[in-house]
Amino acid sequence: MSNIRQRIIPIFTLILVAATLTVGAMVFRYYMTGFQKKENARIYDRYYMMITDNPKSDFWQSVYLSAQTEAGAKNAYVELLGENLKEDYSCEEQMRIAVSARPDGIIVYADESDRMKELINEASSQGIPVVTLYGDNTQSNRLSFVGVGSYNIGREYGRQIFNIIKEKRRLDFKDSESIAQRKAMQIYVLVNTNVQDTMQNIVISGLQETISQENATDSEFSISIVPVDNTNAFSVEESIRDLFLQENAPDVILCLNELNTICAYQAVVDFNKVGEVNILGYYDSEPIINAIDRNVVYATISIDTRQLGAYCIEALSDYFEFGNTSEYYTADVTLIDQNNVAEYLSGEMEP
Amino acid sequence: MRRFSDLPLRIKLGSVYIGANLAVFIINIFLLAGINSMSREMGMVYQDNRHLNELSDSLDTVQESMTAYLNSKTSDSLEDYYRSAQAFSDLTSDLNEKVTDMSFSRMERNIKLMSQDYLNEVSQTIEAKRGRNVEKYRSYYESATELYKYISSYIKSLNLEQFVSNSEYYTQLWNAFRTFETVSLAVLFTVMAGNVVMISHIARNMTRPLNRLAGSANEVADGNFDVDLPEVASQDEVGIVTNAFNKMVVSIKQYIEQLRESMEKERNMQEKELLMESHLKDAQLKYLQAQINPHFLFNTLNAGAQLAMMEGADRTYEYVQTVADFFRYNVKKQDSSVTVGEEVELVDNYIGILNVRFSGDIHYEKQIDERLMSVEMPSMILQPIVENAVNHGIREMGGTGRIRLSVYRNNSRICISVKDNGAGMSAEEIDALLKGEHASDPHDTEHNGIGMDNVISRLRLFAGIDDVIEMISEGKGKGLEVIIGWDLPSDEH
Repeated sequence: MSNIRQRIIPIFTLILVAATLTVGAMVFRYYMTGFQKKENARIYDRYYMMITDNPKSDFWQSVYLSAQTEAGAKNAYVELLGENLKEDYSCEEQMRIAVSARPDGIIVYADESDRMKELINEASSQGIPVVTLYGDNTQSNRLSFVGVGSYNIGREYGRQIFNIIKEKRRLDFKDSESIAQRKAMQIYVLVNTNVQDTMQNIVISGLQETISQENATDSEFSISIVPVDNTNAFSVEESIRDLFLQENAPDVILCLNELNTICAYQAVVDFNKVGEVNILGYYDSEPIINAIDRNVVYATISIDTRQLGAYCIEALSDYFEFGNTSEYYTADVTLIDQNNVAEYLSGEMEP
Repeated sequence: MRRFSDLPLRIKLGSVYIGANLAVFIINIFLLAGINSMSREMGMVYQDNRHLNELSDSLDTVQESMTAYLNSKTSDSLEDYYRSAQAFSDLTSDLNEKVTDMSFSRMERNIKLMSQDYLNEVSQTIEAKRGRNVEKYRSYYESATELYKYISSYIKSLNLEQFVSNSEYYTQLWNAFRTFETVSLAVLFTVMAGNVVMISHIARNMTRPLNRLAGSANEVADGNFDVDLPEVASQDEVGIVTNAFNKMVVSIKQYIEQLRESMEKERNMQEKELLMESHLKDAQLKYLQAQINPHFLFNTLNAGAQLAMMEGADRTYEYVQTVADFFRYNVKKQDSSVTVGEEVELVDNYIGILNVRFSGDIHYEKQIDERLMSVEMPSMILQPIVENAVNHGIREMGGTGRIRLSVYRNNSRICISVKDNGAGMSAEEIDALLKGEHASDPHDTEHNGIGMDNVISRLRLFAGIDDVIEMISEGKGKGLEVIIGWDLPSDEH
């Protein structure tokens, strides 16, 4: 009896010690293997670079995500080039980096500048296919262009402006006694200064054409092309504010990119011009949708960013698979205004 | 194979000590190995950053050496350029070229390819410079410099990003390290506690037989030899000691048994010896008694007395009659107590006989208190005292001896004094006699067989006290008085 008890103590102790050692060793191993796991990364066959002017904007992020998803299915990786760099580079500088880094394909937000043309040509001479995205460089040896129908956008804007004109006619008819008192509607189109952006021009011509077709007389509206200085970081916001400090405040402000829309919206709120100034915005980011809901922005254009991203990858994949691809890809465009803003608000979570 | 418990204590203790130390040592080795691997990991955390810094430095060197060559066109700067370009090329070739989810690896790939492009541009610049193609090398230089800036920026970005991620990793590692520290402390403590339990268990196992042995030894020390002998569980030193103890207890038991037997034997022998002695004495006595049968002697003397009377020899008749009376007393009063008067009568007879034998040399006086004559006393007391006075006092003196017998009362005490004018005794002799140290020759035929020591001891037994006899002598030649006395019985007062 006591003999058994005598044996139990050392056996129990030995088991306890052994268990402690095992647990200790396991804890240690668990920790160490946890640290060495980071090497298991997926390796891709193809590597594309996407170059944009502002990689952090919602618009480009959305396009990039779509492209990335599409590319992932084809075992390719798309890099949003500016994202990892601590310094901000222009599209041309990024293009230079991309060319020297020799990826399998480049997707670039191009313009019609000579430098861009040179770089695109250099890339294609090195066998790197270049897809221009959203902004084209028609003179270059780019593979294809993925963008939106700028003319259609212009027409859409034109219809909206005509709606505004019609509304104004109704009010004028009610309020003013004579035609003389009527004022031509000031339409400001905000354009960027530093790029030769053909898209802007197409939009404007589409706009003008639509308004004239819609029985609007020249005396009823005047379109001003307002250059917005986007050469340095904060100049856009300042330039837009300057507009409101002039005597002739605009009736309609037409913005052709996301940042301008946001700045114009904020300026209208700050200068207490809500209801007087109609903003036609661009892109359907959350603040813009909210602004439509609050009736500060009259309407905005929603671009199918998923299509934009997907087309880029499709173009490149087609090139690698068949040696050629379509030269133009056009993404769908939708107008968002008071009538249909609700569904965008609710569907905000899944663009 | 020997059991552990049978090993010698020295080896047992040693192995326990070594075992405990070994356990702690092994744990420590493991912990050290763990710490070592962790600290190595921690040391490697910023390895990538160091590598990138190296790369960046190397790139700077290439750019500087190129610029220096373009500036001065010295062969030294050209050599510098070749060396730095080679170093840079080596460094970049180590970079990873795979395209993965990890932004680091993609950035590395881009840096690598851009660096190759850059080196290409630089070499073209150098070539153009050597060919003195001014326009060309300028444009190449600008292009290369642009690339240099981009690469620098790329490296910087990667470095920064890796630093952030590595710092995170470092924090994780550090936390893991802390956890590991806690765990290892817990492990160490558990092992230590286990060690303590094991050691105390083993020590208890080793000392338990000792305690049992000590308990048994204590019981044996208390005189209980019938203890349960501690069983020998192991063959170590304790077992050996226990064995020896057990053997010792058994042999002590045997020895005590032997001792008791031999003592018994000795006692029997002594008893036998004493019995033999008493038998011998008895035989001697019987022999003596047989030699002079008192009845025979008494009858013979009576016959002699009658014969003397018939022949008309009155003095002879009287003498023989006295002798007969003397012996009759001996025959009659052998053991029982007698009266003082009878004792005095015996003394009278004895002196009478002696005076016939030694022709009236002894002047005998009596001063007797007649009232004390009926007091009881042991027999054969006065006659030996008187005989002693005659033999040792008067006979050795040579002249006319006097003996005075006095019986008187001193308060509640009866005193009988026998005083002679003989040789006397020294104080030492008196002391020796009273203490019974006076050696008397048992074969002395001159005496009646009853010595003074016998008288004294019988008197003491009778009176129940020691103070029964007094001997007074003023020195050699001045005579001796022997006074015996005892308390009178209460009805005699």
